[in-house]
Amino acid sequence: MLVYIVDRFRQALYALRDNLRRTLLSILGIAVGIAAVMAVGTISKGGNYLIFSELETFGLNSVWIFRDRDDKDPNRIVREGSGIDNDVYHALRSDCCPAVRQLSAMVMSSRTKRTVVQVNNRFSNARVQGVDYMLTSIANDSIIEGRPFRARDVSVRRAVAILGPQPAEDLFGSASPIGREFRINSQKFTVVGVLKKKSRDFLASIGSAGGQDANNRILIPYSTYQKMLGHKQINFLQAEAITQKKAAEAASQLIAVLNRHNGRNYTYKSDTMASYISTTQRILDGVAMIGIIAASVSLLVGGLGIMNIMSTSVLERTREIGLRKAVGARQNDILLQFLLEAVVISTAGGIIGLTLGSIASIVLAEFTGFPLTPSFFVILIALFVSISVGIISGYLPAKKAAKLRPVEALRYE
Amino acid sequence: MIELININKSYQLGEVNLQILCDINLKVNHGEFVAIMGPSGSGKTTLLNVIGCLDNIDSGRYTLAGEIVDQASDDDLARIRNAHIGFVFQLFNLIPRIPAWRNVELPMIYRGIHPNTRYQQAMSALKRVEIDDRSTHTPSQLSGGQQQRVAIARALINNPELLVADEPTGSLDSSTGQEIMQLFQELNSSGTTIIMVTHEEDIAKHASRIIRLKDGIIESDEGTNIKC
Repeated sequence: MLVYIVDRFRQALYALRDNLRRTLLSILGIAVGIAAVMAVGTISKGGNYLIFSELETFGLNSVWIFRDRDDKDPNRIVREGSGIDNDVYHALRSDCCPAVRQLSAMVMSSRTKRTVVQVNNRFSNARVQGVDYMLTSIANDSIIEGRPFRARDVSVRRAVAILGPQPAEDLFGSASPIGREFRINSQKFTVVGVLKKKSRDFLASIGSAGGQDANNRILIPYSTYQKMLGHKQINFLQAEAITQKKAAEAASQLIAVLNRHNGRNYTYKSDTMASYISTTQRILDGVAMIGIIAASVSLLVGGLGIMNIMSTSVLERTREIGLRKAVGARQNDILLQFLLEAVVISTAGGIIGLTLGSIASIVLAEFTGFPLTPSFFVILIALFVSISVGIISGYLPAKKAAKLRPVEALRYE
Repeated sequence: MIELININKSYQLGEVNLQILCDINLKVNHGEFVAIMGPSGSGKTTLLNVIGCLDNIDSGRYTLAGEIVDQASDDDLARIRNAHIGFVFQLFNLIPRIPAWRNVELPMIYRGIHPNTRYQQAMSALKRVEIDDRSTHTPSQLSGGQQQRVAIARALINNPELLVADEPTGSLDSSTGQEIMQLFQELNSSGTTIIMVTHEEDIAKHASRIIRLKDGIIESDEGTNIKC
């Protein structure tokens, strides 16, 4: 059986070799189409990777809980404050929420108050955040130098700080900041750790970096910050759900406890990373779809190219078709012959396109630093598509050839 | 071997219905060498195409080697042609740019003969028509007579009972034409039935039976009983 299939392929190759230049041009048409589809596919995959690797640095399971300041319920006396204080925070910490793994208070100064961070006439414009000791774990922050906060740093209100890479450089240059002192307003702090730099290139480029630059912040114990600011308010809570799927559940469990304590006075809202991710995913899918459609047009043009040369070929070889039928070729033999020619062209185009696309991906990966390796799945799809293009665009001309009546085909000049 | 009963064939040319063959009755026995002659437009090529199962008929009955041809489907006709008939054309109809032996191989492909044995068979067919030394040449590298020999080798490859030839010498000079006729006579004496269309008396005289057509009617049929 195989030997007969090889035989038929050889027949197709002879015919294609006879018209080498035309064959090569149509192969090129398909190759460009496949390469374009593939490049779009890998680039959008690389983009996905980039964006998700940035989102991941916020903690994929993160949940944020804060007061809903737009609450219009007339029965509710609108009150000052964040609606979250240390009492309810401790209550949440001690008795709450099976879907929550960890929880941290977040304390910040109001934006109108100027905070001066400096040492020896070197200044930093970093944002100061009061956090609980487990925040770095919730937000997926890694400490490249020094140590994270400990429970005791918070409970005894130590004046210690963890610096983002930006303030570390602004205040201390290239020297190690661990153990060094600096001031936030008049309060002296000792540096115990430095955060690893996070990539925010993409999010910053679309104007969304979580409202702030993750690399330009200074973490101090929230209790220490509250003492400096002279209040017991907590601006919002950041929690880690046990899984990404349980994020919404974790949020509603936390809000339920908050309502039990303060529900008469405040309403609460939540954000989850999971919802950001699904929104982002939708946008990325949409962008990828547009790209794929655009690239498919070039593949379609390649397919029309094949249809064109197959039609020309059928016309030019009418006498050959007549002869083949005269010596015993059935309709399916002729159909198969021309279909195989089309499929050989499109498959060759597919393979060359894959090679071009892979090279393009590797070159792009080299320049951008994205991991743009084409997946096995993409390769499979590309080959499937190119073979299909061959069959679809070869079918009509092949059918026409198969239906030719031998006596007319032989008479054709 | 061949029996045509009341064969009618017409072409529709615009609004005119052109009657090409009128009530043709013809019987050709195994081993005959028949020449079909007649002025142009007399229907001789159409008759040959009908006999060669290349063209369909309007009415009548055609039996070839015991098979009823007039009702056969397209693919059945292809099989019948492949099994029973070899074709020789005026313009050779070799596929350009493939070597001679690949041309001879073609009918075997459609017969489903194993690729490994085809080369040997093609070579022996080429040897039979004394052109085996040109087996790797493409048609454009061969003279007219050599091309016709390759075409005859192709016609013989499946050992058909019937050889159908349409002006086989029409594109050849007269001495080459005579050589081809020599070859036809050898094939005929080894048992192949040959039906050939020609308009040259010199060529026709190699046949044992001459059928003359005029306006789609058999005008004369000479030598019918020579080979019976």
